[in-house]
Amino acid sequence: MNAQPITHRDRVWRVIATPGIAWLVALFVVPFYAVACVAFGRIDPIFRSAAPEWNPLAWDATTAVGVLGDISNGPLRGVLLRTVVFVVVAVLISFIIGYPVAYYLARHAGRRRTLLLALVVLPFWVSYLMRMLAWVNLLQPDGFGSRALRLIGLDRVWLDGSATTVVLGLVYGYVPFLILPLYATLERIDWRLVDAARDLGASSRQAFWRVTLPLSKPGIAAGALLLALPMLGDYYTNDLLSRSPNTEMLGNQIDFFLNAGTQPQRGATLVLVLALMLAVGASWYVRSVVRQVAEATR
Amino acid sequence: MTSRISRRQFVVRSLVAGGGSLALAQLLAACGGATESTTSLAIGTPDAPVRLPTVGEPIADGVPLESGTLQLLNYADYVNPETVAAFEERFGVKVEISIYDTEEVVLAKMRSGAFKPDVILGLTDTVLARMVAAELLQPLNKTYVENFGNVIAGLRDPYYDLGAQYTVPYVIYANGIGYRTDRDVDTSVFVGDEGWNALWDSRYAGRLGVLDSYRDAISMAMFRNGVFDPNSADAAALSAAGDELVALADTTRPQIDVLNYEQIAAGNRDIALCWSGDVLAGQQYLPEDTGVEVLGFWYPQTTITANDFFCVPRESSKPVLAHAFINHLLDVDNALANQSFVGYQPALEALTAEKLVEAGAIPESLLSALVSPETYASGKRLVSLTPEVDALWLEQWTRFTAG
Repeated sequence: MNAQPITHRDRVWRVIATPGIAWLVALFVVPFYAVACVAFGRIDPIFRSAAPEWNPLAWDATTAVGVLGDISNGPLRGVLLRTVVFVVVAVLISFIIGYPVAYYLARHAGRRRTLLLALVVLPFWVSYLMRMLAWVNLLQPDGFGSRALRLIGLDRVWLDGSATTVVLGLVYGYVPFLILPLYATLERIDWRLVDAARDLGASSRQAFWRVTLPLSKPGIAAGALLLALPMLGDYYTNDLLSRSPNTEMLGNQIDFFLNAGTQPQRGATLVLVLALMLAVGASWYVRSVVRQVAEATR
Repeated sequence: MTSRISRRQFVVRSLVAGGGSLALAQLLAACGGATESTTSLAIGTPDAPVRLPTVGEPIADGVPLESGTLQLLNYADYVNPETVAAFEERFGVKVEISIYDTEEVVLAKMRSGAFKPDVILGLTDTVLARMVAAELLQPLNKTYVENFGNVIAGLRDPYYDLGAQYTVPYVIYANGIGYRTDRDVDTSVFVGDEGWNALWDSRYAGRLGVLDSYRDAISMAMFRNGVFDPNSADAAALSAAGDELVALADTTRPQIDVLNYEQIAAGNRDIALCWSGDVLAGQQYLPEDTGVEVLGFWYPQTTITANDFFCVPRESSKPVLAHAFINHLLDVDNALANQSFVGYQPALEALTAEKLVEAGAIPESLLSALVSPETYASGKRLVSLTPEVDALWLEQWTRFTAG
């Protein structure tokens, strides 16, 4: 093993970074451990609230096993599958909408780029909750949105508990999260590589598929992750736009068990399941970034 | 560059990690919340009324009113801002209103100290015994609530709190079906106890609501099945009700929330399982060009009746003012003004159906949504369930909401 010597500069930066790293670790480890203690703890027999078991040696997995049973072959299986399907479809639609926007911003926007970027960021100035509440008003049968859509032949009740409305709500709410990392990646591409491909006889379509798209993979991965992670835990989009059993997502079940129900253990177990799903996605992203960095520095 | 740790390093790091997690466990346990309660609950039922254990003493007589700001904890849209403003003007104080969604949240946040209100509106007896066991409420001194005599006679000594030691009734209501009379709703089925079938009618798909309350929704499905016990511990009856709710979800794509008062009035729903107060409140949410006659309510022959109440937390910093606020809302004129906004029917003897119609608070078309002292008394009541039975109910609720 060829270990590089630690320099004075490394030590200084290590000292500077230590408080921040400790802060981040504490904010991850402590809440995560607390959730696990609730999931493997008990329910207070009187108050029906969580009685966390802080000693891991005394953890009781009965409820967790029950929840996993419900996920593998019970009512929660449909919720989990539906959540994944909603997120995958919403991410794909977001790409269809967001990639051309990011591409245009990076390559063709010219002097209007700053203005257009500001417009992309503009929705962040209004809270997600307020934007969804606005859609509730717009999509009511007599709302401006419904009336406008009727003019182009889309005559239907939108707030009728359908999956379409929830998925489109997710797309609307999160698509800026995709455009920005995609733009950042596309903007850094050396477009001379595309020109070279064209000079060597590639059509514009071939140049896109074989040069631009592969070079934008880091942005695609980052965008997909930035979209999928919050969408997987999202509950208020469905809460506001549907709140129907047909569109129930994992976040809604967690919300119910932790806030309204008397079985916080089940909610905490679902939080752990969701965290595991997110960890898989995040690991994949970290691995792909590490691999790209290694390739770039080879 | 590859990175490997030696066996020695592994052992050291494991010990550090193990020690760290144990230290973390001890630290978190020391932060509290880890101990289970050992007291028992005094849960009253109509058949077995209960006098709740007294925790602490009521405030003494003759204590002067506090000044400053009264903290009110309430559901959204559940008190008339003008009635509150009148209280502020009368006593020269401010009232700040905080909102809660569920009783479970109130219990949890008051136990943790996150909520410190002076008076709470809207709780029901399903949480009362736990609030008292947690020593969160203070006994009331009725000498400060001189309007207590206005309360419906049958509720002055309620089964869940004999002597009304901790609670004063606020509003009464019944479960039923709210609907739009200007939509294609088949009202011919609203007979006896058969009307619940309407909620399984596919013609209302996407335009139907169900209360986001597992006790009310599952009870409704049991009533449809001919089981008229809303506190049932019968797993088979509950499972059958769960089957019915799953079928309802498949047939009608219901929206599950507590917004029927808005959604029916706005025309977004044709029909919904709701509380009678929802359609009464709906009058406030109708579009300008829509008459109140579009709202209808089916009052089932056998249904759940309930009442919400006022209570004063033990830690209230303004208990005298809190008592004065309760008294203010028990005044008949103030209660009538409050009803005009809230919709829900005050639990006052003087506010009969005739009086409410005469005062213009309720149109004659909504007389069916009013609960009389007699229908209130004959209604079924939801009482607290044991954790084991509660788990059976939640199992069916999960089946329904999971779709």
